[in-house]
Amino acid sequence: MNVIMTTFLSGISVVCFAASYAVALGCEASRLLFRSGVRSMVMVGFASAGLLAHTLYLGWRAATESAVPLSSPADLYLLLAWLLAAGYLWLTLANPRTPVGLFLLPIVLGLVGVATFAPDVPSPLLQDSTSRAWGWFHAALHLVWTVAVVLGAVAGAMWLIQAGRLARKRPPTRGFRMPSLERLALVMHRTLAIAAWAAAAAFVSGIILNAIQYRRGAAESVPWTDLVIVRMGIMVIWLIAADAVALAMRRRPRGDRVTAWLAVVSLLVMVGWIAWGFAIPSRHGGGVMVRPAEALAEGGP
Amino acid sequence: MTTTAASTTTTLMLVGGSHRTVPLELRERLAFSSEQAALALGQFRDRFPGCEAVLLSTCNRVELYAAGEPESAALEAASLVTFLADCRGLETTRLEPVISRVQDEAVVRHLFGVAAGLDSMVLGEPQILGQVKQAWTLAREAGTVGPLTAGMFQAALRAAKRVTTETGVGRERTSIPSVAVADFAAAVFETFADKRVLLIGAGKMATETLRYLREAGARDVTVLNRTASRAVELAARLAARPAAFADLASELAAADLVVSTTGADEPVVSLAAFREIASRRQGRPLVVLDLAVPRDFDPRIGDLPNVWLYSVDDLAAACDANRKSRQREMPAALAIIEEETLRFMADMHHRTTAPVIEQLKAGWSETGEAELERLFRRLPDLGETEQAEIRQAFERYAAKLLHPPLVSLRSESRSGPPHGLVDALKRLFQLGE
Repeated sequence: MNVIMTTFLSGISVVCFAASYAVALGCEASRLLFRSGVRSMVMVGFASAGLLAHTLYLGWRAATESAVPLSSPADLYLLLAWLLAAGYLWLTLANPRTPVGLFLLPIVLGLVGVATFAPDVPSPLLQDSTSRAWGWFHAALHLVWTVAVVLGAVAGAMWLIQAGRLARKRPPTRGFRMPSLERLALVMHRTLAIAAWAAAAAFVSGIILNAIQYRRGAAESVPWTDLVIVRMGIMVIWLIAADAVALAMRRRPRGDRVTAWLAVVSLLVMVGWIAWGFAIPSRHGGGVMVRPAEALAEGGP
Repeated sequence: MTTTAASTTTTLMLVGGSHRTVPLELRERLAFSSEQAALALGQFRDRFPGCEAVLLSTCNRVELYAAGEPESAALEAASLVTFLADCRGLETTRLEPVISRVQDEAVVRHLFGVAAGLDSMVLGEPQILGQVKQAWTLAREAGTVGPLTAGMFQAALRAAKRVTTETGVGRERTSIPSVAVADFAAAVFETFADKRVLLIGAGKMATETLRYLREAGARDVTVLNRTASRAVELAARLAARPAAFADLASELAAADLVVSTTGADEPVVSLAAFREIASRRQGRPLVVLDLAVPRDFDPRIGDLPNVWLYSVDDLAAACDANRKSRQREMPAALAIIEEETLRFMADMHHRTTAPVIEQLKAGWSETGEAELERLFRRLPDLGETEQAEIRQAFERYAAKLLHPPLVSLRSESRSGPPHGLVDALKRLFQLGE
């Protein structure tokens, strides 16, 4: 890699893509105020530029980290934000009239903000290939369930807004046309199910990974009573319970409304779960005492 | 058709009337069918040779747009009113009090507003644009269009497109059936292709709503009527399945969307009856468009979960809100019309300078060529490449000298025909008339 490219890549900061996403969010918000023929282009342009900078930033970090690439809590929050930003871009291109960015981009920016406060030291764990494979699997599952929770919550919030508008018998607000209730309900049910099963699988894979480490007598294994395990267990129980209630209510008249609320509350529970990780110390993430947000160091937020 | 646009004295004229000025009874007599309009344009061509004309006739307006020399008979409003009256066999005195007469820039502004639907009975309705295009095509076929009307109508289409894309004037729907389907039913269901539609009764509003539902993809339609034979007849006409009124409860339990327009004095579906039906629906959402007056469904049914019940009043209120929303877009739409009008007028005025510019260019080119010939004779050793270089240098020099007066002419054209500058150029460079 030549010097110019190295200088260019190392110069990309979190501020670059956060600012691009913020401009795209501003454009989304302006839909409610006025019409514009060029707004879509500006919005997609800034979101694309942000995503490109975001991709290069993560790529640069993956290439330059000495330990497991992108395994630090900060990197994993950024990876989650990247997935959601890519999802936003895809949804906006597929449905240009739906203001999905008003819901997704604040979460993307929130995650980028959280990443700046999270530890950015890669995990020293997972020295052998078996542990590393389990670690990647564990991390991927964490990403899947967190993305599913966010998308489900966005669909749930949209469902509640759309249903409220229909109940008030009002025509759609300018620049704020929501998808149909039928489509939103489908997304809510699917994402709740995916979140529940992926979170459960992430929990189980984490246990297996820890057991492997423990059997080898690795000092980096997490004590079975560590709060990170309790914390994840509670999250899994909540998501499975939410999915079970949604399934049970599916053929009831208020079923979709209950599901919408469950999807929204699941996001709030996840936010609480992340905050808990910041507040309480844990051994998860290595032999040193670190904050549980470093759960991400093994692939999980 | 004689070209008049280049003339400095070209005038635009409009005579006609719309729903705002002409009573319906007179509008009906004044309206032209396509055949009658073609015939009238042929008569116009014979009566006013050398003039341009486009006749726009819809159910809400009859307008004759004309262009030509002001001293010609065509560009006198009285002649045009008489022409319209003669074409429709009306007395001129009947038209005189209600016919509008507009001239020059106001004609352009009016046409642009009409094409954008800003002068329509339903603000922003899109059909008028098609009618303007048709009127233009008809005039072209009749041979009554020229450069001025061509430019004006093309600019009108462009202005209308800008209004449509840059404002919300024509975006929100304003008819009850379209609002019912697009703003409410489509907000509940993603697709109508797999939905069961139930028509109870078949009033005009219901059949119109069904048309929108069919366009949106609805295929499975059941018609239910108190009279079985009427249900069969309606079903055949609407390409639907007939059902007996006795099956109302089971049909409601199976339906996803109901359009109801019976003439019953009492609600056809009571709250108690619907509660019993709802228990058989397994929580599926139901959209009810109760378009009957008095209402066919007990309004309390709309409070039940997953039932979206809309009466005519609910939908009318939504239509009204949409109309107000369109009205709020008017200033933005008018700003576009004004901008496009000024641009068109500036172009039109600028075109009047074309003969002078051509004369100026030709004169300079002639002088340049003469000088080049003299130079090449005195320098016989110059090769073809050198000669070409020198010729290009002369041309660039002439173009650069000509640029400032052309810019001044264009700038002056924005505020009217640049007669002063044109006269000055003619005198300074001794150009002919």
